[in-house]
This record gives sequence, C-alpha cells and structure tokens, in this order.
Amino acid sequence: MNVERSRRSFLKILPLGVFAGVFASIGSAAFRFLRPKLFAATDRWLDVATLSELTGPQPLSRRIVAEHIAGWATTTEAHNVFVLPAKNNQVLSAICPHEGCEVAWDQGTNRFACPCHESYFAADGSRISGPAARGLDTLPGRVQDGKLQVQYVSKEQATRA
Amino acid sequence: MIPAEEKSGIHAWLQTTGGIVGVLLLVQILTGVLLAFYYVPSVDHAYTTVSYVEKVVSSGSWIRSLHHYGSQWLTVFLFIHVIRLFLTRAYSSNKTQWVVSIVLLGLVLAAGGTGYSLPWDARAFFSTRVAEGLMAGLPFVGGMARLWLLGGSDISTVTLSRFFAFHVLVIPAFIGTAIAWRVFRSSIAELFGPRPAIAGGLVFLALALWCLKYPAPLGPSIAEATAEYLPRPGGQFLWLYQSLKYIPGGLGSIAGVVLPGIILSLLVLLPWLKRQRLIGASILGAGLVLVVLMTSVSYLSDRRDQHTSRQLSRQAAQEEVWRREPFKPATITLAAAPAAPESAAAEPPGLYIKFCANCHGRNGAGARQGRLAFPPLLDVSAKPRRTVEDIVALLKDPAAYGLERPMRSFSENLSDEQMREIAHWVVKLKR
Repeated sequence: MNVERSRRSFLKILPLGVFAGVFASIGSAAFRFLRPKLFAATDRWLDVATLSELTGPQPLSRRIVAEHIAGWATTTEAHNVFVLPAKNNQVLSAICPHEGCEVAWDQGTNRFACPCHESYFAADGSRISGPAARGLDTLPGRVQDGKLQVQYVSKEQATRA
Repeated sequence: MIPAEEKSGIHAWLQTTGGIVGVLLLVQILTGVLLAFYYVPSVDHAYTTVSYVEKVVSSGSWIRSLHHYGSQWLTVFLFIHVIRLFLTRAYSSNKTQWVVSIVLLGLVLAAGGTGYSLPWDARAFFSTRVAEGLMAGLPFVGGMARLWLLGGSDISTVTLSRFFAFHVLVIPAFIGTAIAWRVFRSSIAELFGPRPAIAGGLVFLALALWCLKYPAPLGPSIAEATAEYLPRPGGQFLWLYQSLKYIPGGLGSIAGVVLPGIILSLLVLLPWLKRQRLIGASILGAGLVLVVLMTSVSYLSDRRDQHTSRQLSRQAAQEEVWRREPFKPATITLAAAPAAPESAAAEPPGLYIKFCANCHGRNGAGARQGRLAFPPLLDVSAKPRRTVEDIVALLKDPAAYGLERPMRSFSENLSDEQMREIAHWVVKLKR
C-alpha cells in the first residue's frame, strides 16, 4: 500500500522534475550567457584643448571623444568636461556625482547646475547645495606638446574613487 | 480521449508526442528570450551580434544551437504528433487538441521561416529572397503581398525588422494563445502524464547533447559571400526547397504558399467535415511521402553531384576557419572621431611648396602680393565642389570651377597622381 502510494506520488512529481531539469540546464547556461562582461577603462590620453586657448576666470566647456569597447561594438562617444584655467587647467567631469546627469555652467549665477535634482557646484567644482554628496570629480590630466590632455573616467569609476 | 496512464507498453509510449512537443516549445521560448538579449535586428549589426553570441558569449553557441536545431526537431515532432492524433481519431474525440496542433504546425513553420532571415548571413539573405519571390508570385495579391512583407520596394533593414517583429512578437503571441486555449480546455495531468514527461525529457537530453557537438550554422556575411556560395535552408524546409526545383516559376507560390495554406485549413476544419478519414489520410499520407521523399532527394543530390558536394564541404571548412578567428567588433560612432593630430597635416608636400605656397601661403592661410590678395585654402573642403577629385579637376581646368587668373592650369607641371597628393593635403586644412 505504502509502496503504491509513493509510486503514485513519484509519478505525480516526475513531470515537474522534467520541467525543472530543462529549466535548470538552460538556466545555468543563461547565467553564464547573460553575465556582464567588464571592460578595462581606456587609459588613452585624449586631447582637450591647446594651452593657448585656455584663459579667463570662468570654467570652459570642452568635448572629448573617447572610444569604449563594450559588447559587440567599439563605440566612439563624446563627453563634456570643464577646464578651469583659473585652477591650473584642472579638468572636471561634467557628470553629477549624485545620480549621473550632466551639469551645465550657468554664467548668470556663476555656478554649475545639475538639470535633474538641483545640485549646485561652485566655479572650482566644490559642492554648494543639493543632494550631491561631494563636488564634481576631477579627471587625470597632463600637458603634452602644448596641449591639455585627460584620461576619461566613467561615472561608475568616479563613484568608486 | 483516453488518458495515457490507462494504456501500457509500446502503445502508451507512442502517445507521448504531445509531451515532447511541449518540452521543445519550452526550449524554443527560453532560448529565444536569451538570444534577444544580444540580437539587434538591423542589417548593419545583425550578423555582428549573432557572431558575438557564437564566439564571445559564454554558452552562446549552445543556446543558439538549441534554438536552431530545436526548431527543426519541433517541426518534425509536431508533424509526428499530428499523424498520431489522426490515427487515434482525435479530430472527433478532442477537437481542441486537434485544431490547436494543426494551428501550431502552421505557426511553427512560420516562425522557422521568419527566423531564418534574422542572422543576416548569406543564407539568411537568400532565404529572404525566396520568401520575397514566393509572396510576389501569389495570384492577384502578389505585388501587394511582396511590398507588405518587405516594408518597401526592396529587401532592406526594414524587412529585417519586420521578420524580427513577426518572429519574436506576432507568431509567439499566437503560439501562446493556442497553448493557453489547449491548457484551459484540459487538465495538466492529461497534458503531462509521467510518460510524456519522460519522453520530453529524453528528447531534450538528446537535443542538448546534439547541440553540444554541432553548433548552429552561420554562413559568411553578405559582404564576404562569393558568387559560388550555395545556400541551403534548414532541415524543416528542405522538402520545399527541393520541390521548388521541379515547379515551373509562376507556380512556385501556389505550391509553396497557397497549397500549404489550403492543406492546413482543411486539416483545421477536419472535425467538421464529412469523409474525415479519407480527407485526412490522403492529406497526411501525401504530405508525409512528399516531405520524406523530397528531403531525401535533396540530401542525396547534394552529395551525388561532385561540384555541389565539393562546394558545400568547402563552405563547411570556411565556416570552421571563421569560428577560430577572433571576434571583430562593430564600430558605432556617436561622435566625430578624434581629429588626426595637426602635426600630420602640418607639413605640406614638397610639390605644394613649389607650385602653390607662393600665392596660398605655406600653410594654406592665403597671401598678399602687392595689390593682389590670394584666397586662403583653410576649410576649403567645407565648400561645395571641393572634394579631392574636384580639386584635381580644378587644378587642370580652373575656369571650369569659376576661378579667374592668376589661378592657372597645372596640367603641364603636375601628373594626376601629384595633383591628388596636393589635394589630399589641402582638404585637411582647417581653420
């Protein structure tokens, strides 16, 4: 009687077992299949501007063009940065350290403003007010052949730093 | 219908085709969802993304192989399932099961047909061409059907988007509806007794092992395919491919689209027709003979013909080589590439200095000689009619470009090649 009952309950869960098997084998492959691939940050030095054009008391907006290898493509993307001629040509990332929107320089109020959550930063990049926990990140820079160059740092790397 | 558990022996195992079809459908859905995480339905990236899945993504080749061969196995088992249902007279005892199975057969064939175009390799392109031809040949509506299928006057990236939308949204939605209808009209226990589950599990195991050994084929990209390339469709369409060889041009669409449409409709309506046994037996019998015969003939003739078999094995060898090559990523440009360092353009070629620099300045900034002001060449490439070839032509015949003396022709001083060297340097001049 007991044997018969356990046979019946085994037969009942057998179909479930088959489905579980299919799910488990494809599912474990799915985990490897979908696992994100991490790519090393590009350590190339990118031209920002020639030194002669970097003058004046205000931050200057410049675009740098960086190549990112991600997934099946190499993507060439432009990123905004700000150069501070008044601060020995320090280069600031335009990415707000709060949630990653891009800040803009507001000449009228002489500060950086984030369009998303109203964080404000002074002309030297330091935090004034708003939800951002710190000032704008600086990018590693150098001068080569009369040109200012930077290494681009993604938001994720900047946040970790 | 008699539940599978009540029968025993070989007869009971013959009743497990539904379980096998269910497991194979599940495999198609799971692997299809996974492939969609990487695939891009656009003619410039489809092939790259499929190559990426094959070469870079972990388990990618296995997942794609499961989807590819799974679709062929599914068609075969669905066909066997329909024959089994016919033999057990399901068309009168369980109409839902019968209608759903026939509808599924049509949908699975449609999914296979649209899916074949998605990798956008050479064989996908030819298969899209054949679909285009079959549509265009339809009586009365052919022209319109072709335009609607392609989404324009020719095969383009819009066509690929359409095949993709049909393959992953429209057809699966119908398949899901059909399965839901079938499930709601019966109990799970009836659908999935222990025996169908075991049979389904065994078939899955066989498919999984098969796919570990045989990756899904991927032909060369359309750009790399040579004129000798021989496309071959998937196993479930070999019968149609071979039949089309014997059918005169205009009738291909009748045989490939209209006739299968009529046959599937007749089978769907079978429960409500008279002489069910005769109609069903003739259709399924003739279909079985046609499919088995044409598939075998196709297989044999490819191997018998020396030229064909040599080319097919050459293609297989080329695919093997391709698999071992490293993956080449696509290039996406969301911003102008960084300008070449100015130093590259800074040194003017010697011929420019000899013939041009006197008037236009050593760096193309223009020059003034007494009352004459010579125009700068900076940003000249931004003006209309100032490509490299234009500048070569201009150097030969300035008047043709509206230029006046003292600009003169340099045909006697410079060869075409020398003019081109100067022009290549001039178009790079920027303010």
